[in-house]
Amino acid sequence: MKIRLQVNGVKHEVELEGHERLIDVLREKLGVKSVKEGCGTGECGMCAVLVNGTPMLSCLMLAVQARGKKITTVEGLEEDGKLHPLQKAFIETGAVQCGFCIPGAIIVAKGLIDRKRRPSRDEIRRALRSVLCRCGSYLMFEEAVQMVVEGRVE
Amino acid sequence: MAEVEKQVERLLNSKDFVVIGKGIARVDSLEAVTGRLAFTGDLLPSNVLYVRPVRSTVPHALIKDIDFSAAKNIPGIVGIYTWRDIPGINDAGSLIPDRPFLAVDKVRHYGEAMAIIAGERPEAVDEAIGLVRVEYERLPAVFDPVEAMKPDAPKVHDKGNICRHMKIRKGDVEKGFQEADVIIENTYQTEFIDSVPPEPEIGLASPDQDGGITCIGSMQNPFDVRWKVADILGLPQEKVRVIQAATGGGFGPKSDETPIDVCAYAALVAYKTGRSAVSIMTRDEAMVTQAKRHKFIIKNKTGARSDGRLVAWESTLIEDTGAYISKGHLVIVRAIFHCAGPYDIPNVKADGYCVLTNNTFAGSTRGFGAPQAFFAAERQMDELARKLGMDPFELRLKNLLRRGSKTITSAEIEDDGLAMCAEWVYNNSEWVRKRREYEEFNRKTRGPIRKGIGVAMIYHGNTLGPEGEDFAYVDVSVDKDGKVSVRTGLTDFGTGAATGLLMIVAEELGVTLDKVRMERPDTSKVQNPGPTVASRVTAIGGRAAQEAASKIREKLRGVAAEMLGCPSERVVFREGRVYDSENPENKVSFEEVVSQAYRIGLELKETGYYIAPPTKWDEETGQGKPYNQYTYGAEVAEVEVDVETGLVKVVRITCAFDVGRIVNPIGLKDVVHGGTIMGMGQAIMERFIHEDGIVLTDNFSTYWIPTAVDSPEIIYHLIESPGPAGAYGAKAMGEIPVVPPPAAISNAVAHALGVPVKQIPLTPDRVLELVKRAGET
Repeated sequence: MKIRLQVNGVKHEVELEGHERLIDVLREKLGVKSVKEGCGTGECGMCAVLVNGTPMLSCLMLAVQARGKKITTVEGLEEDGKLHPLQKAFIETGAVQCGFCIPGAIIVAKGLIDRKRRPSRDEIRRALRSVLCRCGSYLMFEEAVQMVVEGRVE
Repeated sequence: MAEVEKQVERLLNSKDFVVIGKGIARVDSLEAVTGRLAFTGDLLPSNVLYVRPVRSTVPHALIKDIDFSAAKNIPGIVGIYTWRDIPGINDAGSLIPDRPFLAVDKVRHYGEAMAIIAGERPEAVDEAIGLVRVEYERLPAVFDPVEAMKPDAPKVHDKGNICRHMKIRKGDVEKGFQEADVIIENTYQTEFIDSVPPEPEIGLASPDQDGGITCIGSMQNPFDVRWKVADILGLPQEKVRVIQAATGGGFGPKSDETPIDVCAYAALVAYKTGRSAVSIMTRDEAMVTQAKRHKFIIKNKTGARSDGRLVAWESTLIEDTGAYISKGHLVIVRAIFHCAGPYDIPNVKADGYCVLTNNTFAGSTRGFGAPQAFFAAERQMDELARKLGMDPFELRLKNLLRRGSKTITSAEIEDDGLAMCAEWVYNNSEWVRKRREYEEFNRKTRGPIRKGIGVAMIYHGNTLGPEGEDFAYVDVSVDKDGKVSVRTGLTDFGTGAATGLLMIVAEELGVTLDKVRMERPDTSKVQNPGPTVASRVTAIGGRAAQEAASKIREKLRGVAAEMLGCPSERVVFREGRVYDSENPENKVSFEEVVSQAYRIGLELKETGYYIAPPTKWDEETGQGKPYNQYTYGAEVAEVEVDVETGLVKVVRITCAFDVGRIVNPIGLKDVVHGGTIMGMGQAIMERFIHEDGIVLTDNFSTYWIPTAVDSPEIIYHLIESPGPAGAYGAKAMGEIPVVPPPAAISNAVAHALGVPVKQIPLTPDRVLELVKRAGET
């Protein structure tokens, strides 16, 4: 079948089969490589993407379920060649260690701050709970989101 | 003072670093946040074959027959290979050749690879694997290391199950116990742990035009992978090229044997079919097969004078290494060298046994046996304090290894880093006040929460020591435009090691960090620099980087002296400028000097080599100097224990580490946070379960690791007491913060509940048992 979806602002028409997962279509058919598979069972959060603004696990979602929707990944966060404040803050706080979970963590954080302008520390932590970071950058993630929320990033 | 004199004074001061000591985010951070950091799975060619092994579903059995007839009829299956198809040597053991790459007639653990299937699509391969029929003849198996040590236990391999017996004999332990006023004896136990690197193992192999194979993969040690892949394929080493892609976490398992496995599965298929092939482990496959943290059973007997002075210590350590030795014979060595804590004890006897069982194999994991040893030693110290009626911190201060003290191997301690760590933590954790306050709170409370505070102290032998030759190679070159390239087979997999090496090169050349870049580790471009293990890249690799860069700087010095018209010893290289120290206005740019060097035909390419002084100890007594230097740490943990649910909340960790020299404060913040949180997982939640050898915890819903809501507040302090072996005095640090938390947190829980803790992790079921026991006493 053919479906339409919009990925990082670009409209696509994709030929696919009903059983194909969103993560595979994004990575293999549309070349969106930031989306990482850490478990394939919806536990690690590394494959999180925004679907119409809501963080979703692309390993648990069929591509057809994204039909007609807007998908955002970290590849789509830069504007006019400038990093999104979250991207900057993740760098500044030293949140990047191995880097494998970083796209998922940034996407989850984006989903939160788009939904709620001034989330509390607790809300930030609860949102980030959905992404596993084995390098243990959680407090840097938290600090990075806080910096953005408080407008401490240029 | 004149500006110039100040300048000279600053230059003479060894602490006057320009790049070293600055907080630098990982050099590949920009790629990571924009999604451009290329991991192996992001580099697959379009027509790649997918490869996955058929794995055993039983822990110990003879393979009577394997029937592939249904499997091979699945559309899209390209090849099925068994040990018979291996052109070279059928072994995938990384140090000891005890592990068949593909099982021949026997499997020794659940999940062992018996055949590999290659196909056009991953679904076809999975379907085919499901249709393979294996006929097993079950063999008696052993899953408990204590049972496995008995003479009549089922044998995992042809020889006995004890694969190493390691000894410490210092002083006269019997006499020591006679002199003791108090003697206590306890047995402690830890579980298998999986460090679960976020990116599961992956290896991509492509045939070269000259009959060789190129592998790209997620790994710590490309040269280990090259060695084994070449041997399995029966190719000369130089016909196999291995490139480390960006690697999503290592933690030890990626230095162990599964990265060899996936690259070799893919390489065998590439070799047979002439096509590119990739082997990608699923999470459950990775969790079943990747090297675990060893389970330990540790019996400690401790004797002290009534004033708290330790006089005798006896330990028996039993290490379950699973069905293959991997690094088990080395982990037992590190465990035993650290089994009596960081204390000055005149009489010590310890016996460590590395034991084979039919569990999945354990191997290299961050901390390498030290977290288990310190858990048992530091819990024992708290039990001793309780028996003596002493404050546990005071007891430790009384026995601490200080300058001039002798370790359990009778090696002399050469610095006071541990005392400095202990003092900082004592003051900044508000130990005395909180200890009293929490006890008061627990006496008065009517609610379910009990509060506790516990301490642990560690020292950690740097770097390889008994684990191998501690050398490194780093190549540095400067191109015509003044851009600096660094090449080495030492790797970064999230540790910050690459950033550290680049900082060292920039420091030595006097250039800014943006001029320096790291090339991907590639076995065809560099020589074998030894393994990336034991937290040794910044400390030991840093020495090689220093050497390579300073050789180039010295070559450029003469050129610059001529350009500046000053004596060469006055030439200063700093932040991209090259000038006369007596007249800083007389300057040229680094690029100008480089371009002049090229004009006169100088080659700006150097290899730096460093080998740490050899370490020696006696095999029979363990006495000697197994390490060149030690990293120290002291840590206080504060917990809240819910006596109704059994949940432990780690509220705060206050810690100090002596890192020798702060090379990159951001890198150190990352490893302190990461190690602390990972160590907390070992203490309260992570429990890798084998039931009769079958793995029950093969994903994140059954094997729980810390999340953002579990992170404690982390207050840390870094002390610089330089060591003799590392770059600028730097000590090993990547692994070390994972070591103290199991000890400190379990001491805090014991304090909160008022009962001894002898087993980790402190999962709710175990905590509730402790609560019950507390009620009974």
